Amino acid sequence: MRKWLFGDARRASLPWRRAVLGKIVLGAIVAAGFLAPVGAQAAPAGCAALAEKYPDWKGKTLVNAINPHTPGYEAIDPKDPNKYIGFDIDLGEEIGECLGFKVTYKAVTFAALLTTLASGQADIVISDIYATEERAKAADFITYSKVFDGVLVAKGNPKKITGINTTMCGAAAAENTGFVEVPLVQALIPTCKAEGKPEPTLQLYDNNANCIQAILAGRADTYVNDVNTVDNAVKANPDKLEKAIAVTIPYSVGIAVPKDKPKFREAVMAVMMEIYKSGDQAALLKKWELDPNNLKEPGFLTVN
Amino acid sequence: MSLFLHYLSLPYLLEGIAVTLQVTALGLGGGLILGLILAWMQLSRFWWLSAIARGYTVIFRGTPLILQMVFAYDALPHIGIKLPAIAAAGLALACNEAPFIAEMLRAGVLGVDRGQVLAGQALGMTPAVLMRRVIAPQAIRTMIPAFGNESVSALKNSSLASVIAVQELTLRSTQLASSTFDFFSIFFASGLLYLVLTGAVSVIQLFLEWLLDLDRTRQERWLADYLPWRRVDLKIDLVEKTAPSLDADPVVPPPRALTREDRAKRAVTIARNNVAVDVKDLRKNYGTQTVLDGLDLTVRIGEVVALLGPSGSGKSTLLRCINHLESWDSGALRVGGRRLGFRDDGKPLSPRDIAHERASVGVGMVFQQFNLFGHLTARENVAGPLRWVHGMTKVDADRRANELLDRVGLTHRAAALPRHLSGGQQQRVAIARALAPNPSVLLLDEPTSALDPELVNEVLEVIRRLAVDDGLTMIISTHQIRFADEVADRVAFLSGGAILEEGPAHEVLSNPRNPLTARFLSVMESDKAPEAVR
Repeated sequence: MRKWLFGDARRASLPWRRAVLGKIVLGAIVAAGFLAPVGAQAAPAGCAALAEKYPDWKGKTLVNAINPHTPGYEAIDPKDPNKYIGFDIDLGEEIGECLGFKVTYKAVTFAALLTTLASGQADIVISDIYATEERAKAADFITYSKVFDGVLVAKGNPKKITGINTTMCGAAAAENTGFVEVPLVQALIPTCKAEGKPEPTLQLYDNNANCIQAILAGRADTYVNDVNTVDNAVKANPDKLEKAIAVTIPYSVGIAVPKDKPKFREAVMAVMMEIYKSGDQAALLKKWELDPNNLKEPGFLTVN
Repeated sequence: MSLFLHYLSLPYLLEGIAVTLQVTALGLGGGLILGLILAWMQLSRFWWLSAIARGYTVIFRGTPLILQMVFAYDALPHIGIKLPAIAAAGLALACNEAPFIAEMLRAGVLGVDRGQVLAGQALGMTPAVLMRRVIAPQAIRTMIPAFGNESVSALKNSSLASVIAVQELTLRSTQLASSTFDFFSIFFASGLLYLVLTGAVSVIQLFLEWLLDLDRTRQERWLADYLPWRRVDLKIDLVEKTAPSLDADPVVPPPRALTREDRAKRAVTIARNNVAVDVKDLRKNYGTQTVLDGLDLTVRIGEVVALLGPSGSGKSTLLRCINHLESWDSGALRVGGRRLGFRDDGKPLSPRDIAHERASVGVGMVFQQFNLFGHLTARENVAGPLRWVHGMTKVDADRRANELLDRVGLTHRAAALPRHLSGGQQQRVAIARALAPNPSVLLLDEPTSALDPELVNEVLEVIRRLAVDDGLTMIISTHQIRFADEVADRVAFLSGGAILEEGPAHEVLSNPRNPLTARFLSVMESDKAPEAVR
């Protein structure tokens, strides 16, 4: 089905990009694509052996599809918008450093992350995406982090929402298209009906900023997402927003790789294990002020 | 406010503009090329080309651009076409713009006065020459505002490329908003940037309108006249228009009237001449309505034939058939001995070959509505076709045009646009234009019917001189009985698509034998009565 390998795809698109760069504008046209890794950790000691064992990607440039709207994980650097920064970005750069490939970024909507991977427009997705069985039909996952969700509400929590439960009956929940929280909220509908309460409604947006604005504008009552995103939103609008509660969601965050590249999956897994064991992953969590409880031993989630 | 200004000048956003402009340029450029092809297909005389273009239009005008973007980006790679993001967005935008641009082009082309197209055909212009010299220059002028609209719309639509990872202004703005939480400052800044871009498009549009304004060189029209709050003073225009009638055109001495002996002499000479136009059993129907019903007519070289008859009797149709502006169902038509409209093997000619044939056979035509080319001066109306159809040099064509304008007494108006000429002057230019290639036959289709009464004589005078002084072969359809009597050697009275009565002009007009002819003539006479009393 897919005719191109990673290397071929890059070779095909690079000369075009260079031509554009030469002719039209500054190097920043493809945004962070050509920028050096930012704040990447030095590769762990075990990397040398791994690079030798998995030499296929040495010297290549791989495309990482991200939805850069999650400060802490992946977002542009407010100080230099030509760079992407965050936990996931550092993680990707470190994997690249270990296996000898460079990373460029492709910014897409959340719902388009896996489509972009499947169409060959990207080689890997490291974008705070929860690995679910449903999504594993489209891509293979290497899980690397536990999930804690926060419930974002307006200051004072006027609707008294305490989680994804019947307190959400009748409330308007903002979510991004494709988020795992969407079906969780939808699952409340029969429960609310059974209790004779009004149904919760869903508003679907493209990115975190829009979801947060929906609450600020009084259009939505709550937004359930990764706790770190929720904390950042509260930090930015302390007078208007608050975190009602943190809830556990039965998923892990995963790196998505194409289903038809088992060797790549294996290599990424091996590197992730090395990063985990060397303590680099814990250090990264600390660097980005994320909850150390997120730390999790890497694993696979694949579905045939 | 300071944040707003900060984002307004942030290089990250300004670089996004470059990407936005790239996508827009690809979309508009590609859309224009595709649109030209689509419009050409739709206007083509082959139904299947037009059907394909219609199908394309239905699909690409009927689906959202955002889906087309995603398709170009995510679906095409599955069939092996992996375009870079900017190219994919440009492709989708071009495919989406094309049907809209095609419709604009089509409307522009169809909006050009059909009469001018007919006149161009009658002058022997091929479809390509006609498009390039007559239709396109006028259509483009009318299409500029629509193009301005389309450019602004494409510029704004390029923001949809943000869904396929194109780092244009909108995507950069949303990413920046996500990481800084300065939602409103950023979007106000990006909105203002879009306004500057669309404002620039408007300025370009106004400049082009000014540049292509035909009146620009004649009157002092400044760019500022196009600003919405400016009302351009029309006085200059009015003075221009009335001026020529005040200082009358140079007086052309009337030709001497023909005596009875002259007429007899003419008749004898003409009877010895070769046949110029030979119409045999010509039949034509529009649906169930019969327009020409087995019409026969022979016109000899140097002869002037007046076609009389009520409206709808087939006079105009006959003239158009002689010039092959219309086709007929059966019968034969020869001009200068040549059978028109068919190849040697009997197959019908293509429009292009018909045009060449018209030019070489030499049948000139003058229309009721003048049909001058609206974007060309009087001189260019005459000289242009000589260069484009007959391959004359500019110097020769201009000399010939000046000569002819002199003959119709319009040398002083050579540089005027048709719209600044009176009806009579326009018709005289039209006659000069028809005469320019030295036609063997001149067809005049009610040349004075559209004129105000006081302008009729100046045109009749010109035609009279052509008949008497130049001995030009002419077929004139007219309602001017007295004029027909004076000028024509022969009149033919048409009714129901056939000739009821024909013969020497004076004889038929003073002693009609057919009762229908008599009644028609008496009605025309009684119409004239009040004028006669005065």
